[in-house]
This record gives sequence, structure tokens and C-alpha cells, in this order.
Amino acid sequence: MSYCVNCGVELDPSLKRCPLCNTPVIHPSQLAQKDTQARSFYPSRKGQVDTVKRTDIAILISVILVGTAIACGLLNLFVYRQNHWSFYVIGACILLWIFFTPMLIYSRLSIYLTILFDAAAVAAYIGIVAYEFPKTVWYTHVVLPLVAVTAGLVMLYAFLRRKLSPSVLASALILILELAVFCISIELLTRYYLEKRLYISWSAVVLTCCAVIAAALFTIITRVRLREEIRRRMHI
Amino acid sequence: MHAFKSSPADKKNWYKLDLSANVYPTLQRRNFSSVFRLSVTLKEPVDPVLLSEAFTRTIPRFPIFASAIRSGLFWRYLEPNPRPLPTVQEDISNPCMPMPFKSNNEYLIRIYYYECTISLEAFHSLTDGTGGLYFLRTLTAVYLRLKGHEIPNGHGVLDITQSPPPEELEDSYMRYARSSFRPKRSQEKAYRLRGTPEPFYTLNIISGSVPTDALKAAASRYGASITEYLNAVLLYALMQEQKSRHPFREHPLKLALPVNLRRFFPSNTMRNFISMVYPSIDPRMGDYSFEEIVVQVHHYMRYYINNKFLNADITTNAYIRNHPLIRLVPLFIKDIFVRQFYIRIQDKQSSAGLTNLGLVDISPQLAGHIDHMEALMGQPFSARTNCAVISFQNTTVINFASSIVEADIEKLFFRKLVRDGIHVKIKSNRFIEEE
Repeated sequence: MSYCVNCGVELDPSLKRCPLCNTPVIHPSQLAQKDTQARSFYPSRKGQVDTVKRTDIAILISVILVGTAIACGLLNLFVYRQNHWSFYVIGACILLWIFFTPMLIYSRLSIYLTILFDAAAVAAYIGIVAYEFPKTVWYTHVVLPLVAVTAGLVMLYAFLRRKLSPSVLASALILILELAVFCISIELLTRYYLEKRLYISWSAVVLTCCAVIAAALFTIITRVRLREEIRRRMHI
Repeated sequence: MHAFKSSPADKKNWYKLDLSANVYPTLQRRNFSSVFRLSVTLKEPVDPVLLSEAFTRTIPRFPIFASAIRSGLFWRYLEPNPRPLPTVQEDISNPCMPMPFKSNNEYLIRIYYYECTISLEAFHSLTDGTGGLYFLRTLTAVYLRLKGHEIPNGHGVLDITQSPPPEELEDSYMRYARSSFRPKRSQEKAYRLRGTPEPFYTLNIISGSVPTDALKAAASRYGASITEYLNAVLLYALMQEQKSRHPFREHPLKLALPVNLRRFFPSNTMRNFISMVYPSIDPRMGDYSFEEIVVQVHHYMRYYINNKFLNADITTNAYIRNHPLIRLVPLFIKDIFVRQFYIRIQDKQSSAGLTNLGLVDISPQLAGHIDHMEALMGQPFSARTNCAVISFQNTTVINFASSIVEADIEKLFFRKLVRDGIHVKIKSNRFIEEE
């Protein structure tokens, strides 16, 4: 029977240290003896939680998408042969597959990689449309930079969410600021595409609104009483 | 073609989740389920084959324990589970693991055995500690009968040859929620223990066995009951912890204490019938001595734990559930709101949880085979520690379950008991190396 010298509690014979204060259990007259440990009351086998298989639903979605893509491709090849309309459908199927399947099959993929894949899929889909209308440079001048900016903003949001774990109000602040950046990017990119002078007009209005809302949110977040009041009223 | 036909078993009854059961599935995460465990340690090693047979014989008497949880459009509900029963398994070192609804043949209970111990783990939507104890006592009695012992029914052992009466399956909350006044609830944040989180699926248990008579004597020296005394000791431990960690910015200390409503409202239900009260102290008003904490907890509990206050409390819950607008909201939207409400308000309202199942009523014939009993609250929702207390004859087992590395609260708690002259024997699953 051993007692912890620090806590004064009796310790189970299987314990080599006190679980409360981590003090080792030492019997002075048994130091030289070989260590014989009593059997613990608790088992040592560690249990594993069953993983819930969602592959069935992933297979179902894949089958539906593949079926649609093949059927439309065949129709385009043999029946309605006017133009390459089936590219849009097949592209949409691939897009949806890339959107859904990581959620269902490979859920351990990094969130940043998932966003990157999704952005690449969107860019590729609009690329199909651009392939059909090859005359202009709208794809490279507007779409690709805009998709990149959107993906960047979503990634930044995901990063901040993970690192700071912000409250609802703080998340709203981040989103409002990102919205302002997004609107400015749209205006600047379209002006660049139309070869006009680079300045902001309508997005300045959005920017002003966002700045006002962001300032209000910032005040609410930093003033404890105000924040608590809002939290209570809105249950957030 | 068989899969397209409905079998007669599909047309059986279904049950609405009771008032408190609605919250638990909403909080389900990949690494969290509201699971609790009750164990009975016998005087001889458990035979898994006979235990499995006893489980098969016992389960028809408890249809709630044999159900699966389903999602409807507006609410979740329980449905009889036609799948084969889960197997009785050898125990594991990390009890109360998360319980995904689709695993384990969709059953929401697990039965474990290890040396002399039989353990029941149940998802909290099925039942509370009282219902779980009825199941465990009946299972143990059926098991011992299979071993050739004479164990009578009664004292918590139900007759497995009878079919379950409807009052055992009722939602007693809805029967008793009759108050015409719904009190507002405090939404003040309590002190929250911050610790180093353990890796995925680790549950640290520190279990202290104390003699019930010594505990009772210590409690009565302070003029309190055992529950009040243990509450006060835990608040005292939390107060010391807060003082050492955050001496300049103190928060109120609150415990979440479930109260068994069957004591106040006659009910035989095997489902949840508990309500929460929050004994608290506020160190911002000044330092408390231990005696002052005991007095505070004693008066708080005498003031709040009576059928009037408890009825008003359950009426508030019933009102929310019966509100026509809330009923119309689809389940997935309800889930978002309830989860946010829980994370941002409910969970922050208590510093720790403590439940006392009290002295278990067991017939002398059954008690002769039992060494002791244990209860375990399971993994806490946020990084903190939970405490479950159960007494059998002269042994009270106080089990702390936490998912953080630090054991400061447990240390302060048990040291206070030792200082009050109570002999504490500690065992723990910490430092056990994995096979």
C-alpha cells in the first residue's frame, strides 16, 4: 500500500506515480528489487472509433455525373451535332465531381488544397467557354485573375478562421473587408480589360459602405459591454 | 428484389426524443458524443459468453436501449433497430469514445467487460443515469442468474419476462411542464479552465474511492449533505485554480449539476428526466473561505431544488420546443442555431460538471456479488473536467474525466478531502502504456 507523499492519497498498486501531482512512488527498501508492477484496474487496449463510410453516396454521385457526361457526349456526337454544346455539360459534371467528392471520399485533404482544386476546376470550366469564343482576351484578363483573387480571399478567410478562431462578429468583420477587396478587384480588372483608365468609381461606394460597417463591427468587438449586449440580443 | 419490400418489423413504433435528448445529437462532432458510462465490478471475473447471452435476454425489456436515431425533416426521433445486437467487447483504455450514429449497427449503447467489471456506455439521448442504472442492474442480475445464482427482481432489477409498460417510455417532461411562468436564465459567463488538450480520443480518468460514512461525517461537520459538500469542494478547487492562474481577472465559478426530477415528479420513465442547476460563487465579490462556500451551496440548493423552480425550468424548455415557429424550422437550421447557442452561451455558463447518482439501491442477494460501482460522465464538450459520483454500500467512487493534460483540479479536490480526514484511494488510466 503506497501513499503519495505530496497529496496524502492512497495509490493503487499499479501506479508508479501519483496521477494528481506526478510524484514517483518509491519504496526505499525495495529500490534494488526488480520492478514488479501490479495489474491495473484499467485495460491497456485502446479503442478505435468506427469510421462512417460515406463511399456509397460518393459512388452514387459519381455514377450520376459520369452517366450524364457520357450520355450528353454521345448525343452531341451522333444526334445533335450543331456545335460543341456537350462540353459545357461534361465540364459541369467534372466541376461538380471535384466539388463534392473530396467532402465524401477523401475528407482529410488540406482545406487550402481543396480550395485550390475548386478554383482550378472553376477556371477550367470557364476555360471551356473561352475555347468556344477564342477571339477575345477576356479569359486571361478578367476571369483568371478574378478566380485567383477569389481563391486567395477564401484561403485567407480559412486561414484566419483556423488560426484566430474568430467569433461571429469578428468573422463578419473579416468577410466585410474581403468583400470590399473583391469589389475593387472586379472594377479594376474590368477597366483593365476595357483598356480604360484605372480608377475606382462604383466600388468606391461599396468600399465606403464596407468601411462604415467594419468600423461599427470593430467598435462593437472592442467595447465589452456593447459586445455582450449584442451577443445576448442576437444569441451569437 | 427483397430490398424493395418493406418487412413487418419496419412498421413498429417510433419515439420522439425527449426534451433534453434533443440537444445531444446536435452537439455530435467527429471527436465528441454525449456518452456516459456506468460500471459494476463483481467479485469474480466476467464470462463474456454468458454476458452476451444476458444482454440478448435483457434488451427486449428496454426497447429504448435497442433503438437507432434518425433525422426527420423537423426533428430527430428514435426508431426500433432491427439489426443484430452489437457484440459484447473487451474493455478499452479510452472509454466513452465518440459514437457515430451509423456505426455499431446503429445501436447507441455499448457493453464492455474487463476482468471483473461490466460496463455500459449509452448515448445520452436514450436515457439518463437513472435509466442506465436500471438497465445495468437488470443486466447484472440476468448474468448472475445465468451463472446459477438466485437473484430476485425488485430494487432496480426489472422483470425481463414482462413487456415494458408505456409509462417507462413516456417523455415525462411534457407531462409535468405546467408552470405558467417561465423564468429568464442567467447568461453570465463562468470561469473556464484552460488546459493543454490531449490527442484525439484520449480520456483521462482519475478515480478516487472514499468510505461513504467518512464522507457523510465530513459533510455533516459543515452542516451539508454529501452532494452539497462535494459541490463545495469542487468549487473550492476551481477557486484556488483561478486564483493561481488568473489572479487579476476573476470570473464567477459555476458547476453544472443535473438533478433527477423523479425525486420531485412521480415518474417511471426510462428516458431522460433531469434538469440542470448551477451552484455558483462569485470571487469578484471577495474571497470565500471553504465554510462560506458550503453555506452558499447549501442555501442555493435548498432554494432552487424544489418542484416549483424545477417545473418552471422544464416549462421554459417545453415552451421553446412547442413554439409553432420553432417547430416549422427545418432540422438542419435548428441544428445550426442550437449548436451555436450551446457553444457560445450554454457551454460557457459552467466551469465544470458534477453529477451525483447517489446511493444505488440494490437487493442484498445481488449486492453480495458486487464489489463496487462506478459512473463516468464521458468526454466534456470543451476542454475541462467532469466529475461523476456514485455510492454503493460504504464505497463512494468519485470519477473525474477530462480531455486535458493537467490534473490540477483533481489534485486540489482530493487534497481537500484528505485534509478533511477522508481516506482517498486513487486509481487512474493515466500512464498506462498502450499495448
